[in-house]
Amino acid sequence: MLAGIDYFIVIAYILGMLLLGLYFKKFVNSSEDYFLGGKSLPFWAIGMSIVVSDIGALDFVGVSGQAYRYGVSVGNFDWVGSVPAMILAAFIFIPYFWRGGMYTIPEYLGRRYNKSVRTIASVTWILFFALDLGVLFWASAVLLNVLMGWPIWISILSTAGVVGLYTYFGGITAVIMTDVVQMIIMFTGGFALVYLSLDAVGGWENMVEKISTMGPEYRSHFDIIQPSDTKSPFPWTGILFGLTFVMANAYMIGNQSIVQRCLTAKNEWHAKASMIFGSALKMFVPILVLFPGLMAVVVHPELADGDQALPMMIKSILPPGLVGLMFAAFFAGLMSSVDSLLNSTATLFTKDIYEPYIKQDATDKHYLKVGQITTLVLLVIGVITSPISSDFPGIYVAIQTFMSYFQGPLFAILLLGIFWKRTTQWGGLSALVIGIGFAIFLNVFKDQFFTIEDPFLYISWWSFLLAFIINIAVSFMTKKHSEESLKGLVFSSKILTQNKSL
Amino acid sequence: MLNFDWLSGVSQETAKMIFFSLYLVIGGLVLLIPNDYVFEGIKKEERFWYMNLKIWALTVLGILATIYYIF
Repeated sequence: MLAGIDYFIVIAYILGMLLLGLYFKKFVNSSEDYFLGGKSLPFWAIGMSIVVSDIGALDFVGVSGQAYRYGVSVGNFDWVGSVPAMILAAFIFIPYFWRGGMYTIPEYLGRRYNKSVRTIASVTWILFFALDLGVLFWASAVLLNVLMGWPIWISILSTAGVVGLYTYFGGITAVIMTDVVQMIIMFTGGFALVYLSLDAVGGWENMVEKISTMGPEYRSHFDIIQPSDTKSPFPWTGILFGLTFVMANAYMIGNQSIVQRCLTAKNEWHAKASMIFGSALKMFVPILVLFPGLMAVVVHPELADGDQALPMMIKSILPPGLVGLMFAAFFAGLMSSVDSLLNSTATLFTKDIYEPYIKQDATDKHYLKVGQITTLVLLVIGVITSPISSDFPGIYVAIQTFMSYFQGPLFAILLLGIFWKRTTQWGGLSALVIGIGFAIFLNVFKDQFFTIEDPFLYISWWSFLLAFIINIAVSFMTKKHSEESLKGLVFSSKILTQNKSL
Repeated sequence: MLNFDWLSGVSQETAKMIFFSLYLVIGGLVLLIPNDYVFEGIKKEERFWYMNLKIWALTVLGILATIYYIF
């Protein structure tokens, strides 16, 4: 399906990313440069990076498919599911992490609770990221093969080669600055598709009118708030309790690959601004990934599988050249996800596992080298393990689902850790372990507890609530931490009296 | 209970008002943040109104509320 000009655009894009990423090699002289960009990056680059690393090639197809089936309610994930959480992160959590000079979220948990909480959180993230890498490689490569006929192993090896080289040498600075270009490409390709699709359906009002008269199953396609008894996975109760209160906050505040970007900011203002700027950009994401799915309802109303909506729109709407740009946008989604996983996992391993458990008090150059080697090892593992996922078709969804279950309890201990002085190390540890166990239990027996098809939003909420209650109960039963040990780790009203020491 | 059956009587319009109330509460809390805290990291002589992150946050919340009003 790709024409000559499309191949030219894609190859130029891949080479451009490689050269741009390698340019940032000269800025890496220490482990702080490698993991935190020397704390020198501006808010706009970080904000763009946060947004692009959150959208993968699979999301383009998946979200369009859900919009085809369920309508605009899927937009909740990028609207109410991001903006309030990013504002909370910007004004409360990020300044604490930034001022504390932290590298990782588990590092905060270790200081606030104990080493076990830090290790459990870190190992869980590392396992998730490492497993996700191979699965992401394979699932994205298969998608690019189906969409464009691009050979699977060329996708994997070119992505691994380019991303591996610039992440190995340039660290997080290369990751963020290439993300900036990747976001511009993704938005340009996406908006081109939306603009031409809108033209094809005769404008927005015409599309709304056509879809609204297509039958009862399309009647709620333009209702962003779905009733609590809806059969779709997005009842408003799940959106409010599971997504807005728990998963969104856990993702924006507790996800290493998101928070680490903010910690690279050149000062505290830039750290806060990066999140708010990112939240502004986030509001455009549903336009890119959701609207093509909606328009496909008019252009291709008989699709058996909603996930075919986006590929069909690309095939039927885009001219040569723009197909290449859209393909580059998919590639950008894959690359930005892979570079985030690599750099975040290397940071977690070096700072939370290697430094405290394997070799303490080594030189800074040593930790820099460990970070680089970890990046390389992860990449090799990701490439080698990627074909395994072809034997387990549901593994991508399974990994994402597992991660969503970890996030409720994680957010519960983060929230109480920062806002409640009385929380103790044993409260945090028991909440994390029991909360994760409870989420797994609910998932295993979901058919007996829930009426909707995919109750991940509800499971996140209930596991969060249980972890929250357990943390409080166990904390009251165990010895509280000294004031001295909590300095700079717990929210203080001094923040409102302009005391910089918090 | 785990399915929030006890909220099944709440209409979509009321649910939408709950979301609007949430944005209002967040907006109100943002307004309470002192300017010095918002500008922390920027020298006093380099602080301009357009760098006030409260304005950024309120603008984003305003757009978000508009989207929920439209749909």
